[in-house]
Amino acid sequence: MNDKLTSKQLSKKITDEYMEDAFHAHDNGKLIGYTTAISPVEIFVAHDIVPIYPENHAVANLTAKKGVELCSVVEGMGYTNHLCAYARSDLGYRKTGVTVTRGIPDADLFLACNAQCFTLTKWFQVLARQGGQPVFVFDTPEHVMNKKAREEIVKYCVLQLKELIAFLEEKTKKKFDYDRLKEVMKYSAASSILYKEFLDMAQYKPSPISIFDALIGMAIAVYRRGTQECVDYYQTLVNEIQAKVDQGIGVLPKDQEKYRLYWENLPVWFKFSDHAKMLGSYGGVILTSLYVHAWSFEFDLNKDPLVTLAENYVNRFSNSTIEDRADMATDLFKKYSMNGMIMFMNRSCKAVSFAVPTLKDILTKRTGIPALVFESDMGDQRFYAESQVRTRIEAYFETLDRLGLAQKTAAA
Amino acid sequence: MWESLNLKDVVALARDPYPSIRQWARDTGKKVVGSTIADVPEEVIYAFDLLPVTILGTHKPLKKAPSHLPDNACSLARSNLELALSYEGDLFSGFVLPQVCDTTQHLSDIWRINFPDKYVESYLAPRQADRPSARYWVKEEIERLIASLSAWTGKSLTNDALNASILIHNENKRLLAELYEIKKKNPGTITNLQFFAMMKLSLQVDKAEFNKSLKSIKDGLKLKKGKGYTDVILVGITCDPPEIFDIFDELKLNIVGDTLVDGTRYLRGAPSLNGDLIDALADRHFHRGFFSPIHDDVFKNFEEVKKLYKETKAKAIIYVHIEFCESQEYDLPDLKNLIKKEGIPMHVLDTEYQTTSLSHVLTRAQAFFESLKGGSL
Repeated sequence: MNDKLTSKQLSKKITDEYMEDAFHAHDNGKLIGYTTAISPVEIFVAHDIVPIYPENHAVANLTAKKGVELCSVVEGMGYTNHLCAYARSDLGYRKTGVTVTRGIPDADLFLACNAQCFTLTKWFQVLARQGGQPVFVFDTPEHVMNKKAREEIVKYCVLQLKELIAFLEEKTKKKFDYDRLKEVMKYSAASSILYKEFLDMAQYKPSPISIFDALIGMAIAVYRRGTQECVDYYQTLVNEIQAKVDQGIGVLPKDQEKYRLYWENLPVWFKFSDHAKMLGSYGGVILTSLYVHAWSFEFDLNKDPLVTLAENYVNRFSNSTIEDRADMATDLFKKYSMNGMIMFMNRSCKAVSFAVPTLKDILTKRTGIPALVFESDMGDQRFYAESQVRTRIEAYFETLDRLGLAQKTAAA
Repeated sequence: MWESLNLKDVVALARDPYPSIRQWARDTGKKVVGSTIADVPEEVIYAFDLLPVTILGTHKPLKKAPSHLPDNACSLARSNLELALSYEGDLFSGFVLPQVCDTTQHLSDIWRINFPDKYVESYLAPRQADRPSARYWVKEEIERLIASLSAWTGKSLTNDALNASILIHNENKRLLAELYEIKKKNPGTITNLQFFAMMKLSLQVDKAEFNKSLKSIKDGLKLKKGKGYTDVILVGITCDPPEIFDIFDELKLNIVGDTLVDGTRYLRGAPSLNGDLIDALADRHFHRGFFSPIHDDVFKNFEEVKKLYKETKAKAIIYVHIEFCESQEYDLPDLKNLIKKEGIPMHVLDTEYQTTSLSHVLTRAQAFFESLKGGSL
């Protein structure tokens, strides 16, 4: 049945069914668990907890330019305007009910994994104080560059996953099914491989996908991993993109693809399509970022599921050292033959952004490619200076042209 | 170096302890290890015959730090980095840096990359504190720190050395606690500025030496009750610049309790000497009281603050908010509402490291306490 649907249609179908299931969770005897986009959600799926990601809901509102309206409400409640725009817009939604979607159901419990950031933990704590629900913090110490320390970190995380399971058993009065977890892990492992295959198609010339395709394509990996439908979706997506590759179809035609760019950080959601058009007009395509690769897990199904979960969730780029992050980005530069980089200092995301100046220094030194650095916010339009960004992008491409960094395959 | 200081010396040294630390390091030949707040077990560093120094910012201009950390980063983090990059870096042979929040998440990476020739170790404190795994992890981290220091110094840590170190640190806390009690009851004897200077210097100099000064200061005090003081409690993480304490003194506010990391939270961290010492160091992590970046329950924090307010019979709470401290900023609106509902007068003091202009702090605090005295709150 699903074979006949396009990836776009399949994504819509999966999303609609998922939200329907979420809104009727209590009717079906299930609990709603709010969780962070990077979190061992496989445990939730195996225990029939419906995962809800307030970040995804925030993205929908911020992309639709609701950021200022929602954030302003929250600032009136005493929260400062430099907190994460996801958190501020979400708290604004709680206060006003304003949303461009049908909203999200309230949480019965929270799971905050700080491999992504600590902000989400604090944000979930605010929500939990409003509703009186419990918060489970899955604490992932930084994946420091020391083999023994890493082994200890994994042990600590496995201990916490066992505590998480006990916590869920207590809340649901239901025994956790480890066999079910193994099954969920198979789906997660399979979909992760396919998701990575999809992202890696950006290595073709011309690239059949840009980061904007990746950002749309990653949604199902974020909220439906651990399911058969997630595997089906990525298989469909990979087949579609492969067909483009076979026909030589790129985001830009081959003779116009001058600059294959790396993007550091989350996107500026409300400028999503504008950026794609603007860069395209200079022959630039942003191919990838470490952010979209954050859901390319490499689960080892031969290991204890809790161990491979712990290993994978502690080593995400956002929880890695700057040196490791630079190595990950360098690998992408080589693999995707990139010849430019845009380093976004995102005021909302301190966890990712405070490493950016150092990361930029390392990457420009290693690759010899200059970087465009700009500061703004992923969701709050008040921190976006349109003309300044436009001027800097223009100047950056002039610099790349001057340095002769354009791809040889592109038309002069 | 720090054995026979009077209160005036302490205040002066607390403003800039580094020349004296530099001289001390030269005289003794010992190495200096810097750390930032909070919770690095300094007893362990000291037991390796190293001097642990808690870096608490600089008041000198920012020159290099802004190119590493943007202006929306916590001012303490920027100020600490500046201190190391521009002013005192050569003094330190190494650093042990804790990670407790998003700002500190990559700080040890930035320090390690900028100081490739120095020893730089992370101390990964748990960011959850209510489950058994947290205690397990604290102990693991202490043991990892011991192994790391041992590899760096080429020395093994003996139980006797750790025991001796804890004794010195506990003695420091005991003396400070006694001085605090004297100050609370007799605000005319020790000013806020003087007391918190003793606290700060304790975190930065050799405690075996400084304990002698503290004892002699205590023995030499002539008790003065003082008149017209308003008792207050101070809530937050740290309070800087020190001129803020001058303002409190000028307004005749008597700090009779606090929850500061470089205040009572430090004093509460005296590990027991009965039983296994590593266990004792791990246990104390959980007895130190609320700290926004690692604890998850503002209601507990509220209960702790309310209890302190009642026990001390204070007239108001002063909450010290460090600009761009996200952990505080997520907690503060709810904490403020809870305190307001309880009918406790509360003044939020916004500050940041490197601030030179404090006129707004004085004006706002003056207005608050005048209205408090007028009973209009």
